[in-house]
Amino acid sequence: MGHKRLRFLGVVAAAMVFALACGGTTGGGTPTKTYKIGLVTDVGGLNDKSFNHLADVGLEKAKTDFKIQGDVKESKSGDEYVPNLTDFATKGYDLVIGVGFLMQEAVGTVSGQFPNVHFAIIDGAGTDAKGNDLKHSNVVSLFFKEQDAGAMVGVIAGWMEKNGKAKKNKHVIGAVGGVSIPPVNHYIAGYKWAAKMEDSSIDVKVGYSNNFTDPAKCKGVAQSQINAGADILFQVAGGCGLGVLQAAGQASVYSIGVDADQKDADPSVIASALKKVDVATYTAIKNIVNNQFTSGALTFSIANEGAGYAVDNLDLPAELKAELDKIQGQIKAGTLIPPADIP
Amino acid sequence: MSGIGDILHLLFTANLWQATLAAAVLLLLPALGGVISERSGVVNIAMEGMMLTGAFFAVVADLAWHNPWLATGVAIVAGGLMALIHAVVSIQFRADQIVSGIAINIFAAGLTVFLVNRIYGLQDVGHVGPTEGLPYIDVHGLDQIPFIGQVFFQQNVVVYVALILLVLIHVVLFRTRLGLRIRAVGEHPQAADTAGLNVFAIRYGAVIASGLLSGLSGAFLAIGISNTFVPNMTDGRGYIALAAMIFGKWTPFGAFIACLIFGLGQAIYDNNSIIHVSPYLLSMLPYVLTLIVLAGLVGRSTPPAADGLPYVPGSE
Repeated sequence: MGHKRLRFLGVVAAAMVFALACGGTTGGGTPTKTYKIGLVTDVGGLNDKSFNHLADVGLEKAKTDFKIQGDVKESKSGDEYVPNLTDFATKGYDLVIGVGFLMQEAVGTVSGQFPNVHFAIIDGAGTDAKGNDLKHSNVVSLFFKEQDAGAMVGVIAGWMEKNGKAKKNKHVIGAVGGVSIPPVNHYIAGYKWAAKMEDSSIDVKVGYSNNFTDPAKCKGVAQSQINAGADILFQVAGGCGLGVLQAAGQASVYSIGVDADQKDADPSVIASALKKVDVATYTAIKNIVNNQFTSGALTFSIANEGAGYAVDNLDLPAELKAELDKIQGQIKAGTLIPPADIP
Repeated sequence: MSGIGDILHLLFTANLWQATLAAAVLLLLPALGGVISERSGVVNIAMEGMMLTGAFFAVVADLAWHNPWLATGVAIVAGGLMALIHAVVSIQFRADQIVSGIAINIFAAGLTVFLVNRIYGLQDVGHVGPTEGLPYIDVHGLDQIPFIGQVFFQQNVVVYVALILLVLIHVVLFRTRLGLRIRAVGEHPQAADTAGLNVFAIRYGAVIASGLLSGLSGAFLAIGISNTFVPNMTDGRGYIALAAMIFGKWTPFGAFIACLIFGLGQAIYDNNSIIHVSPYLLSMLPYVLTLIVLAGLVGRSTPPAADGLPYVPGSE
């Protein structure tokens, strides 16, 4: 018997159980519908060691906790966003998740065509071609305060420069962004702001690779910053940014990873700024399963454990750890607010 | 300091020219492949796909055997196999060579994404690399020459190989009997056939050579520079190489000069964190330079007469 027939029987069986449960008068039956969740990556792909990967981790966790069927489509280029989203929507998926700011317009278009399908988009909203939020009632935006995570690693970089723990001690650090878009710049804003708070004499070089998939391009930008004296480099460029970590390793300076914990990518990685896309994806799926979908925006930050940092291939001094705990507490309490725009 | 001043200052640093040469070589290898293929009369726009395939298999082989030399060999063969598809389709079956090239580029993009997930899995994706890199070699003695030493003699091993290949391919194409035959087949295959040349064999060889060179460039990108594989990491270099080939009038040294201009643009762009100019303006630089040079200096660029035309034995 083929898989298709098995699955068909499975659906019939599930439908019968569902009908029986609904027909009962007690009403206490658990929901037995198998929710179908579709995940569409942006051009970074699942192997970006970063947010597409984390979205998948969130989906896999939801698969073990809830009765759902989860499927993934990887977009190889920007013009695949609409077809990939449409494909899930026409097949009756309950929730279609678009990963990334770059998919805003595609989610805006497709969510308008399928008002009965729920959509979630990470790092963006469903917009028209001009970037205006269409505010469709079937779309939820999953936003992050990247500046919270950026600030934590900025504290590490600034503290190390101030206390002579970096490699060159020229009080120069760098940040390499993919493209100058809000989620990238929020990270850099928090990083620069916190580094300056720790070390007022610090010079923060900010550059862009104009790319998210080509490590060689990010490596070039990183090498330029290293030549200019930078000895701690923060990558904010997805798969491209792996080139930043490489460049730092080869020049024996430190680097900071982004989105996911990137300590395995290169020994030079001393910390990672975490955007917990897995938490956000999981929450969006949980809301569907619990019938608690709300349109509009959900924001993930240090306050709700949706953003943070990881300490990687370096034992941080106790004083620095104390400083990190202090700043994290203040951000959580709202007494310190990292800026969203690069200062 | 103003943006122009920043750029002028940069032009006098060896770091900039060192980066320029490395970026140029990534483009030069597929461009040389394109020159050979098109000189023999087969239009080749599939360098992007061959390079991406080479990059992927270089990483797979390197992670499996921890030997960058062996991995480079695998990448070269993988590029050659992709080229063989193009050869069979466009020489044997006389299909449209542009369509075949596009198909190979799309096929390579899909194949590599599919295989990377198959081999390394969706969960354990954090480990495509780091690989054993192809070494950077400082040429003893020569690397101490001020400025020139850093630019030319502190480079990846592939850079030296590429520069040797550049000279070699120029000599073969324009100074040997084989080169004459390749060019004859690309200009007038009927006449070449009448003179007793095996048009198919020469075209097959030329197309496969373009794949070998593109595969080598992919290996340089993946295990020379990046030490990892990221889907679509070639980022259009195969197409830029194509432009460099046309810009260089289908000659190896012409293509090299074009690659240097693109490479310089990239190297200047890489410094956008220390140049006070909008990164968007800077990223246009290589293309603006190309337009100026193409319109002002190069003049008309004419492809080989039989470029893109499948050869039908016995036809006029």
